[in-house]
Amino acid sequence: MTVLDASDVEGAAASAPSTGPIMTPHPPTREPRRRLYLLWFSLPAILLVAFFFAIPFISNAGLAFTQWTGFSSSITFNGLQNFRSLWSLGILGHATYVTIIFAVVTMLAQNLVGLALAKALQQTNRINTFFRSLFFIPVLMSPLAAGYIWAAVLAPEGPVNGFISWFVPGDFTFAWLGQSPSALIAVGLIDAWKWVGLVTLVYIAGLNAIDRALIEAAVIDGAGAWRRFRSIEVPMLAPAFTFNLTLTLVGSFSALDVIFATTKGGPGDATSVLNVAVYAQYGQGLFGTSSALSFMIAILVIVTAVPLIWYLRRKEVVS
Amino acid sequence: MSSAHVKTRAPRVGEVAKYTVLSIIALPMVVLPLWVLVVNAFKSETEAATPTVGLPTDFVGLENFATVVNDGNYLVGLKNSLIVTIPTVFAVLLLGSMAAWAFARASSRFLRVAYYVAALSIILPPAIVPMVVLLTKTGLTGSVAGYVFALIGTRLGVIIFLTTGYIRTLPNDYEEAVQIDGANRWQTYWHVILPLVRPVLFTAAIMTVINVWNEFLFALYMTKGTANATLPLTLFHFANAGLYGIRWNLVFAHVILTGLPLLIAYIFLQRQVMSGLTEGGVKG
Repeated sequence: MTVLDASDVEGAAASAPSTGPIMTPHPPTREPRRRLYLLWFSLPAILLVAFFFAIPFISNAGLAFTQWTGFSSSITFNGLQNFRSLWSLGILGHATYVTIIFAVVTMLAQNLVGLALAKALQQTNRINTFFRSLFFIPVLMSPLAAGYIWAAVLAPEGPVNGFISWFVPGDFTFAWLGQSPSALIAVGLIDAWKWVGLVTLVYIAGLNAIDRALIEAAVIDGAGAWRRFRSIEVPMLAPAFTFNLTLTLVGSFSALDVIFATTKGGPGDATSVLNVAVYAQYGQGLFGTSSALSFMIAILVIVTAVPLIWYLRRKEVVS
Repeated sequence: MSSAHVKTRAPRVGEVAKYTVLSIIALPMVVLPLWVLVVNAFKSETEAATPTVGLPTDFVGLENFATVVNDGNYLVGLKNSLIVTIPTVFAVLLLGSMAAWAFARASSRFLRVAYYVAALSIILPPAIVPMVVLLTKTGLTGSVAGYVFALIGTRLGVIIFLTTGYIRTLPNDYEEAVQIDGANRWQTYWHVILPLVRPVLFTAAIMTVINVWNEFLFALYMTKGTANATLPLTLFHFANAGLYGIRWNLVFAHVILTGLPLLIAYIFLQRQVMSGLTEGGVKG
């Protein structure tokens, strides 16, 4: 954590000695007029968030229940019709299922690998910094670029299969992205690969924020490395878990780029996550069903991320 | 950081084993994909038809990059990516930190609710279709301007959340001191708050630059035509333009050129980026 230093404050340094507060605290009650500036300072951000997040989000929750297409200017309420027809077409259930598998694969891979790398690279020294920087390179890339690169690496005649061919008889030409269960897992892992360097850094920050005295006390008490990890570091990492688990889960619910660069939802609809289905409906001018699928992503986030945050927040040690 | 005299020195064998394992992991995980990317970008179309780890026998890298610049709309994409990313990042940092100061010091119910809505915008997915409709109604659809507004509106939440949390941990003595000295609100923000929150904003800026530079979903829905396409979109169109599947050599040349600006910035700022993200304000 960054320690505040009064000398950082150019404006205040001149008037306030850095030894400590010189002001007597104001009484808590202040006339509301003087605080109006708070509104002016926040108004631009409030308007932008309202226009581009809150209003579209609320409209979407309503539009999901309307008959609305690009072929007619009228928008009429039609209850659950969109969900029913998407369900009977096999889109809603399948896309939701694919999205959940994708998100779980991505979240687990990112956090397991990220935590392991963080433990290995926790100390700040030359060689660890080199490895941290190396694993961070994919974070800089666009998910599209990540998709194209791995599509080549995993191609039937590509390097991965070439490597496997050394060990198995015959030519190994498995189409990782061309068959049903492996394609979905592969795109999930590609998405995880793109972000794992960042997840690692957040865990490193969390590990280094733990009071050394706690670890040293445990060492004196004879606790081994695994015991210290399980009983001290994991509980103390709760804020990092909250941040990483939530953002990786929520991010993967809305994934699209990696899939567009690799399988475009295929083979068949094996990797057609909700956002791919949203785009397909939108492309056909079916805005109502498109909104319904988009609303489904919101529901997934609400029923999983909100309890997750609530649970993890309770685990956070209040210090 | 750590007190060296208490720490028991790990045996050298263990260290060697650890870095051997790390290297074995890093090789297929990072080195291989980057190697495949670079060598195939310099191959001819037929040679790169099956992307392998072999070095190019027919070295046509310069032609590939020239093709990307000429036929791949690279320069248009670069220009648009710059005019999207730069204003978005500055607007998000400025408006976000201004709002964060207000939210951190506010007691009114309206501002508290506004703060929670902004925080919610981090986790709730964006509602694309209504956003496109909103942009159409305001005449901004298809243009870079509408896209920029949408990006600002959806990226402010993270900055607000991180910065508000940070400002709440600061005493407000500094603010009050300079205001007694006659500084107005803007001067207080500019000379006191902004320098104080710089570590958080730096971390947030890194994340926002990476996120916005690579943004694809909104660009796909909200920008129309080649003239408004950002780099991820030009890359996508270029990759899909091949009649006989993906021309790996050209796609990889495009990937390299698309990623190059960030990679160059990263090489120069690597130390600050690493310490910004491991010691900066990312704390839930």
